[in-house]
Amino acid sequence: MSDSTTPTPMNGPEPSDMQALRCADCARSDSLVTDLAPTSALPIPVEAMMGFPDGVPHAQRTARGLDRRTFLRNGLAGVASVYSATQLDWGSVWEAAMAEAAEPMQKSLVCIFLNGGNDGLNNIVPVAGPEYASYQSQRTNIARIIGASTGTQVGTTVMPGTGGSLAFANPLVSGAANNGDTRGLDTLYGDGLGGLGSDLAIFPAADYTPANRSHFESRDYWFAGALQKLQTGWLGRWLDTYGSTANPLQAVSLDSSLSKQIRSSKAPVCAIESLNGARFDVPTVTTADANAEVGKLAAVAAAQAGNEHLGRSRDIYGLTVDVSNRLGGLKGGTPVAGYPANTDLTRKLQLAATLLGAGLGTRIVTVDWGSFDTHGGQIAAQDPQLSVLSRGLAAFKADLAARGIEDKVVTMVFSEFGRRIGSNDSGGTDHGAGGMMLVSGSAVRGGLAGEHPGVKVSDDGDLVVKTDFRSVYQSLISEWLGGDPAAILPGGAFAPIHRYDGGTALMK
Amino acid sequence: MSRQTKHRRRAKQSAAAPRRHRLQLPPAITTADQQKVDVTSMSPAMVDRLFWRAGFGPTAADRAAWTGKPVTDAVAWLLSTPAGITGTPGTRDGKPLDPTVDDTDLVLGWVDRMVRSTNPFVERMGFFWHRHFANSRESVSPPQLLVKQNALFRKYSDLAATPTASFKDLAYEVTVDPSMLRFLTGEYNVKGAPNENYARELMELFGLGVTDAAGARNYSEEDVKQLAKSLSGWQIDDKNPDAVVSYFTPDRWYSGPKIVFGKFGNYKQNEAIDLVLAHPNHAPYFVSKLWGEFITTPPDAATLTKLTGIYTSQGLKLKPLLEQILADPALYASLDEPNLIKPPVVYVVGAMRTLAALVTDSTATDHLDAMGQLPYFPPTVAGWEGGLSWLNTNTALARFSFVATLVSRMTIDDVIGESPAAAYDRAYAAVGQPWLAPATQTAIRDYSGRAGSSNSKLRKERQLMLRALMLAGPDGQVM
Repeated sequence: MSDSTTPTPMNGPEPSDMQALRCADCARSDSLVTDLAPTSALPIPVEAMMGFPDGVPHAQRTARGLDRRTFLRNGLAGVASVYSATQLDWGSVWEAAMAEAAEPMQKSLVCIFLNGGNDGLNNIVPVAGPEYASYQSQRTNIARIIGASTGTQVGTTVMPGTGGSLAFANPLVSGAANNGDTRGLDTLYGDGLGGLGSDLAIFPAADYTPANRSHFESRDYWFAGALQKLQTGWLGRWLDTYGSTANPLQAVSLDSSLSKQIRSSKAPVCAIESLNGARFDVPTVTTADANAEVGKLAAVAAAQAGNEHLGRSRDIYGLTVDVSNRLGGLKGGTPVAGYPANTDLTRKLQLAATLLGAGLGTRIVTVDWGSFDTHGGQIAAQDPQLSVLSRGLAAFKADLAARGIEDKVVTMVFSEFGRRIGSNDSGGTDHGAGGMMLVSGSAVRGGLAGEHPGVKVSDDGDLVVKTDFRSVYQSLISEWLGGDPAAILPGGAFAPIHRYDGGTALMK
Repeated sequence: MSRQTKHRRRAKQSAAAPRRHRLQLPPAITTADQQKVDVTSMSPAMVDRLFWRAGFGPTAADRAAWTGKPVTDAVAWLLSTPAGITGTPGTRDGKPLDPTVDDTDLVLGWVDRMVRSTNPFVERMGFFWHRHFANSRESVSPPQLLVKQNALFRKYSDLAATPTASFKDLAYEVTVDPSMLRFLTGEYNVKGAPNENYARELMELFGLGVTDAAGARNYSEEDVKQLAKSLSGWQIDDKNPDAVVSYFTPDRWYSGPKIVFGKFGNYKQNEAIDLVLAHPNHAPYFVSKLWGEFITTPPDAATLTKLTGIYTSQGLKLKPLLEQILADPALYASLDEPNLIKPPVVYVVGAMRTLAALVTDSTATDHLDAMGQLPYFPPTVAGWEGGLSWLNTNTALARFSFVATLVSRMTIDDVIGESPAAAYDRAYAAVGQPWLAPATQTAIRDYSGRAGSSNSKLRKERQLMLRALMLAGPDGQVM
């Protein structure tokens, strides 16, 4: 395939390239997130991703209307790598997907994995008197300051509803002086009271005990939903019990391979690296939009009656422009403003929104993103990513709202562990415990949903884990996805989450 | 080389391959169209049409030479000018092409020959034979077999060298061609264990079609079996890959009575081929297919009768038939709005010839693969489906990308102060003045007027955009 016809990943300027800063043991960690070979490939027709033209009766949205001829005629929006215990024939997959498309959208979950071990302590900062002094003394070279950022140090913005004890690091906060946008984690969080407009639950120290500081082991625990390695992921088991037996699009990893979170024993699941968002493009031309100009040529007067071939050419060129505008990197104009430009997270969140909005029965989406293994130069490496995360989550919510499905989607953000309280001499932090976990969505009861342990120097120099991550999974199953958590999560039941206001509900 | 198009079938699966019968077509041409055509004095549009359909597009020299001349003169030139090649041989990343070592070079080698051919009809017709007797490198090794078969096809396309070439002689030769014996497993067709693979395709795809125009079957399953026995006994000697030969072993041939189409005899392969080609549906089947290579609409009944009469009365010779088809007014229908999608190979080679681009890397093969037509890799023994199916959202991007890549390699002078109209005219000349609908011309001129031109970068990008839009847009896909 030529470069320009392969899907174009928007791997523009990432906030950082952390490779040089990683510990030697971490270099191979990425490849171990996923390790299963797909059983087949599922072509995704353009029509499916475009949600079908208005007026197509649900009964006609079947495999019969999406045969191989249709693919040849209109092309593919993408290809899914299917993982399942048994081979599925193509027709039954589409029958299942289309049958689900005919139903009202069900509640779904997007899981964003911050790869590498995000340092939550510099995301949510203790800013009350003695706590802040302790924090500052242990992190002399990377500590945030209270209030506005200065030329040399990043500041903090107090989180409402925490009595002034905790604050967002400024890269996570909206506003021109911070991350350059009108939306961010603070606008999702709102007043923190859990009512209307308070849509972000924050767990400042979620993890498990005792800490296992290996990326691989720790990741496996989070993915399995158990403090041991299992052959299935926690969401894979949920799908085995409550999901479809025929629709691999019910759970999608936005990657070239499958996340262990959705590895199942029998429910079909899939990985989709990208949709075909390639555009008409002329190499080296940067001051003209070839896609838009081609679109104008495709829209000239209809071909003469009987000239099917020219008519076909103009139709297909027009369709290609349309598809690339809808599905593509959206270089020519993002329908929902506020996504950070040119980041892999943006591309994946836009793809997630497109998939969820296409009505193909997608319940679970997993995103693996970032380079958070900040052993050195942490501020320069982490803060741009925090800004992208903050703006990306807010834009994603707005994108889903514009598609009319925001109330059906909850987004969870996590990492395999937190980092040490004390910083090292390289201006970084080493593997620790107690990281930040977020759950976002208008159905979510926003606010501080787990305790902050403070930064008293404990035995190991780690944050004390105040929220078992499995408690959050438990709430997501029982309150959101549906089903019996005890059947999914070994070792339960777990203590309910504990909000600052004493509540135990994750959802409104 | 990329192997993204994974629907290629191996020969042994061909029995299950969907059969594509190429004549999927719009209504017959109108009288009004025919009235515009003066076959005694070609308009420039007629020259363009003939050289697109029977070659890879016109050059300025073609237009100058044939405008105002009778169609029959131009057709005679195409059918009586020897194969020739000109210019610098293609390379890949600075190295000479090595077709028998690298499959990308194998394909590039043919593309290079098409680009540099002095009589484009020869390579165009050779490519027709490759699609009619479609063998794939996926299951033919060593590659020398395909090189040898390519030379065979050229022999039946270079009608200056072989003016009496007939379909019958080609069928005789291709039946025992080493590549064909390997691709359709004829080398395993031996008495006691007849292999029906080639026998079936000889009737179904190469010679007769499954049914006639009325829907009646042209042959029975028993005919397939009996024909297979007649074709048995051939093997391949490929000990020296550069001198592969096929040979007949009498002991491996099924000697004994056979009944084909109800006729009794102890047939060998050429006698069996004679029976197939004498079948009443052979002439209409083959004539219609050859016609469809050049002309969008199927022949009407009277034309088909006339053509099959010429074809059969002259011993299945190719040249008299081609003379008729290429000069038929139907080929010149809808001159003001071309009505046939260019097959990828024609599109790619045409653009390279227009822009004087040579083979220097794998750009052509990469894009041909993405457009769905990689020579030597047909998806099935029936060749490529073609027609309207050539275009989908992926292949449209590949088509545009290919030409845009060629355009971006052009040397473009900077003309300070060039007006939008002058910029349009210069670009139009640089891309060989292709057909563009009036509305398309207006849209591209509109772009030229909107495009910035205040500095050299903007002026250069305006030229690149204009050229790509003219050559690679929707109108550039038809001929």
